[in-house]
Amino acid sequence: MRRWIPRRRAGLLAGVVAAVAVVVVLLMTALGRDPSVIASPLVGRAAPNFTLPQLDGPPVTLAKLRGQVVVVNFWASWCADCQTEQAALDQTWRQFQDSGVVVIGINFEDSTGAARGYVRADDVRYPVVEDADSRTALAYGLRGVPETFVVNQSGRIVNRVIGPVDAATLATEINSMLATSAQ
Amino acid sequence: MNAAGPLRRARAGLPGLIVLVALAAGLAALVIVAAGGHPPASQAQQVQQIAAGLHCPICKDLSVADSPAPLAQQMRQEIARKLRAGESADQIRARFVAAYGDSVLMSPPRQGVAGAVYYLPWLILAAGLITAFVLLRRWLRAPPPGPLQTSPQQASPQTGPPQTGPPQAGPPRASPRTGPPQAGPPAGPPQADPPQLSAAQRRAVARALARLRAEEPG
Repeated sequence: MRRWIPRRRAGLLAGVVAAVAVVVVLLMTALGRDPSVIASPLVGRAAPNFTLPQLDGPPVTLAKLRGQVVVVNFWASWCADCQTEQAALDQTWRQFQDSGVVVIGINFEDSTGAARGYVRADDVRYPVVEDADSRTALAYGLRGVPETFVVNQSGRIVNRVIGPVDAATLATEINSMLATSAQ
Repeated sequence: MNAAGPLRRARAGLPGLIVLVALAAGLAALVIVAAGGHPPASQAQQVQQIAAGLHCPICKDLSVADSPAPLAQQMRQEIARKLRAGESADQIRARFVAAYGDSVLMSPPRQGVAGAVYYLPWLILAAGLITAFVLLRRWLRAPPPGPLQTSPQQASPQTGPPQTGPPQAGPPRASPRTGPPQAGPPAGPPQADPPQLSAAQRRAVARALARLRAEEPG
């Protein structure tokens, strides 16, 4: 019986079809991803340690807070979104400070005077530290402000929020971690 | 003197020669590329080299070396600090990748799916070279162009123009297609070998013969 397609042509055709299929699969994989979502490699890993000077008070070392839930917030006085989320951070601090939760504000690319003015004007009560050379910001893979990292009692980053954070989200996460540690 | 032998030998060796020249050119290119990768002389150059390979996290399509952003400036200072502390370029890059992910690299990593960017062009080049080699060899082995011969009578030197290709040059010899020599005295004048036809030419001949037979009366 005569072959519909010669064997050599059939091999060539199969090769072309396979190559096109590979390209299509690669394109579909890449196009199906949301380019605005930047995955942080730090989530699930140990939070980079830091010892930074407080604006008004002794230096703060993250490693010394092991066993407590820590909310690390990067902010700047020139950042409008930081003003937006300030109320949520204050509320979290007031709500959970008696449960051993610590909120730390890390001032990023700012002047000490401007940072002090902001803290005074907004009546920020939680510890605020300065990252003068941005080394801590670089260690946390910061891409801008505000950014917030939630660190669990084991010192691991469990969440990273890019942009203004809301009090309800923080409360849900903190309650979940406190409940786990209480068991 | 018969020039067909040396010509045939030269044609047979040509693909090998082309492959050798291509391999030598590729090797020379690799040596030049390898020789160009000298370590930078000063620390400032090292900082520049590492920063040029890192993407500024807050910029669009700018490297840390080229960006005027304060964060990029801090990154350059951090690179200098790490170099002074004795860390290698790979260690410094690894630190930034640990914090920012692979997207901080200006060039994709060589591992994983992204690594295909590096290996695929070489695979395509190799496939192209092999294809070119096979086609070239087939082309060199094909008979030279001449009038299409469909029968031993037409293949006679008296009927067609003189041909210079291998089948016609040289002394008459038994062709594998003509079968074993038959016993008995040779009938008629010695005939030239039928030319080696490609599959497409054979099909065209068969079609032409079928058409002629169909047109024959009776």
